[in-house]
Amino acid sequence: MLENHDSVKSNSQPEILVAEGLRKSYGPRKALQGLTFALKAGRILGFLGPNGAGKTTSIRILTTMMEPESGHFAIDGIGSEYPEQIRRRIGVLPENLGFPRQMTGLEYLIYFGQLYGRTASEAKENALTLLEDVGLQQRAKSLIGSYSHGMRQRIGIARALVNDPVVVFLDEPTLGLDPRGQAELLELVQRIARERNTGVVLCSHLLSEIENVCDDVVILNVGQIVARGSVAEVIGRVQQNIVLRNALRVQVPPDSIKAARQLLETMSNFISVTPVGELEGWLRLEIVPPHNGELAKAHQMNNKILGALIRAKIPILGFEVEGGRLQDVFLHLTEESIK
Amino acid sequence: MSNIQSVQKVPVHKIKVSEKALPIWWLVFRRELIDLWIGGKAFNLVLIYSLLLGGMVYIYSFNTELSLIPPKEAVYEMLKNAMAVAMFVGLIIGADAFSGERDRATLESLLLTPANRRQIIAGKFLAAFSIWPAAYVIAIPYLYVLAQGDAVLSPALFWGAVTGTILVVGYTGVGMLVSFWSGTNKVSYFIALGIYAALLIPAELPGKSAGAAGQFLQWINPMAAVNHFLSKHLVNYRTVAEFWTWLLSSVALAVISVAVLLLVGSGLRLEAGRGSKLWARLGRAFGLSVIAGLIMVSLLLASPVFAFQEEQVLTITVDTESKHVKTGDSVEFNTTVTNTSSEASPPLIVAMNVINLDATGDVVDPEDWSPQRTQYIDSLGSGKSANQSWIINTILEGDFMVYMVLIPEPESVEATSHPATSSGIHLTVDPFTRLNPGGVLPFAIGGPILLLAITYFVYRRRRQQIDMGGSS
Repeated sequence: MLENHDSVKSNSQPEILVAEGLRKSYGPRKALQGLTFALKAGRILGFLGPNGAGKTTSIRILTTMMEPESGHFAIDGIGSEYPEQIRRRIGVLPENLGFPRQMTGLEYLIYFGQLYGRTASEAKENALTLLEDVGLQQRAKSLIGSYSHGMRQRIGIARALVNDPVVVFLDEPTLGLDPRGQAELLELVQRIARERNTGVVLCSHLLSEIENVCDDVVILNVGQIVARGSVAEVIGRVQQNIVLRNALRVQVPPDSIKAARQLLETMSNFISVTPVGELEGWLRLEIVPPHNGELAKAHQMNNKILGALIRAKIPILGFEVEGGRLQDVFLHLTEESIK
Repeated sequence: MSNIQSVQKVPVHKIKVSEKALPIWWLVFRRELIDLWIGGKAFNLVLIYSLLLGGMVYIYSFNTELSLIPPKEAVYEMLKNAMAVAMFVGLIIGADAFSGERDRATLESLLLTPANRRQIIAGKFLAAFSIWPAAYVIAIPYLYVLAQGDAVLSPALFWGAVTGTILVVGYTGVGMLVSFWSGTNKVSYFIALGIYAALLIPAELPGKSAGAAGQFLQWINPMAAVNHFLSKHLVNYRTVAEFWTWLLSSVALAVISVAVLLLVGSGLRLEAGRGSKLWARLGRAFGLSVIAGLIMVSLLLASPVFAFQEEQVLTITVDTESKHVKTGDSVEFNTTVTNTSSEASPPLIVAMNVINLDATGDVVDPEDWSPQRTQYIDSLGSGKSANQSWIINTILEGDFMVYMVLIPEPESVEATSHPATSSGIHLTVDPFTRLNPGGVLPFAIGGPILLLAITYFVYRRRRQQIDMGGSS
């Protein structure tokens, strides 16, 4: 749970976003069924869920773009009955945000700065700082219409920060970016939380980025929270169940995959040995579950497999126990929920 | 996790709001104005507008020089058309105000700010309205050249500014309301254009809208009512006191559309309309009833039910409406006299009349124009008709009206009878044409060229302000 976070620093931070029992329906379809969570200052909260889980509805409600049917939330101590006050305290990068193509990046940020109550000179000074923060100072006077997708996401983040927000909501900020662009943008998100002590709610489909960047995670499925807490806690809590299903992955050089497969298939205890991504040389091994669900016996099997490969002089390039990644947890939880 | 009740009610962070900060409506207005004018949309529309006006002024000037229409009528027609185009532009820009931003996904970032919704709407409204002063300034030289020194110019400029402002406010407001309740620009434009057409069609058919019901329908149509007011005041020299009530519908449209806009505007949101289902239903019902009502009004006005019909026992018709000829040409036409009563008519006299439409022109002597100015018909039986043929030789150049009068022979020397008249034949006798009628050509061509030059200058200046680097 978020409130049990082990960091002394984070425990001392105030809760800047508290949501309780948020509900919303679209006709007969229940989009949100009692969303309850909290976020502390300086922390990044990953908001996960398959399509239709209620992520966008949650963000729309928390950013005052939509009213919940029931429930309540507060940002920086301001209750949801004061949407205008809340909007002063949040920054949002919506998914599919459009930009005025005829404005320069600098003009865009100055305009929004003024809408938040700054004078023109204050807004300009702030805009120049933000442009530098997001690495766009060289393109400050270029039309936004000439920006690349990555640059537009950056100017969008800068706009979200124009009012020094207490909480920033980023909806799929890395969508459509190349790997370098994704890494740079996630680093920027981390800097925002760290240096500004801002709470960040990060919606993403990329589980690896949530795992690498977020402190906390909320996993939604069909409008309900199926897991919440720090990333480590959520993985740890679910991991044991997944490991008991007993599957692991081994990576060997692609030219050794045939030999490795033959060797492993001669061993007992396997239900199946199947190549996964042959070009990279990954094999997925599903093992007969241990008696009485003993985790120690499962781990012994891992050692045996590695020992056999080493003795056969097959290089081991990678080894993963399924269930150890946030992706496994996500798939497990959403699958369980669907069942 | 803390219970929400335990969260402090005093915000942790202080939000800086400068006392010197500019009002939201001004910021939005300025931004929208720049988008509209520097972005190119307004310049393109105004350029098209000036080209249309250039074409119109040329045609009107040509006709004025041929004495087809007097200068005051040309000024009125020009003013009417300039206003109609400006209203269209205002409506279209208004119709893009919210639905366009929804389409371009730029509305959300604006709504995510603490900016007051009504102020956002006020700023957008003022920017959309900005097209009218520009359009009017462009129209002034054209009106000036068409007036040819006639005293109609001053009242035309004054009342054009007043009525145009009222109408453009109303139409821009209606466009923005449509946009407010439309999810996409396609829907918004479709409805806005439907409303425009529904109001324009009856406005262009004033001649058919006599009779009490027809007059009322014309009176409630803001565009038609203003046209009626302007035509009476500018062309027929009728006083404002006589016809000021014809401005009420346009004033009502302007006041109501802006008031409703500001009233519902507090609920401006990402989706079309307001959040409340009641408002959505009311809005939908209102919109549909307005469109249905306007279509009905259009159809009714165009219908012969509302045409002025005075029961006439004896009628006379001509088979020609107008002729464009040169000096010395012969014009042939026929008349038909019909007895629609249930009894036989008395003996009938048909007389030809020719009037010079140019008040300063030469007097027309029918003897010079036609060897046969009068024809006689014996009694016509009930439901019977008789045809007559006529020839006119055009003597003078200019613009003339030929009309026929049917006179039932009076019963005695002390009695009288009621003559019936045919519709007139508009005869234009054209000696030659000039390429530059009324010296209008420099205005017709110069206006658009000047606008192009201004557009080029503005774009060039903008390009100097920005870094034109490509994406990287």
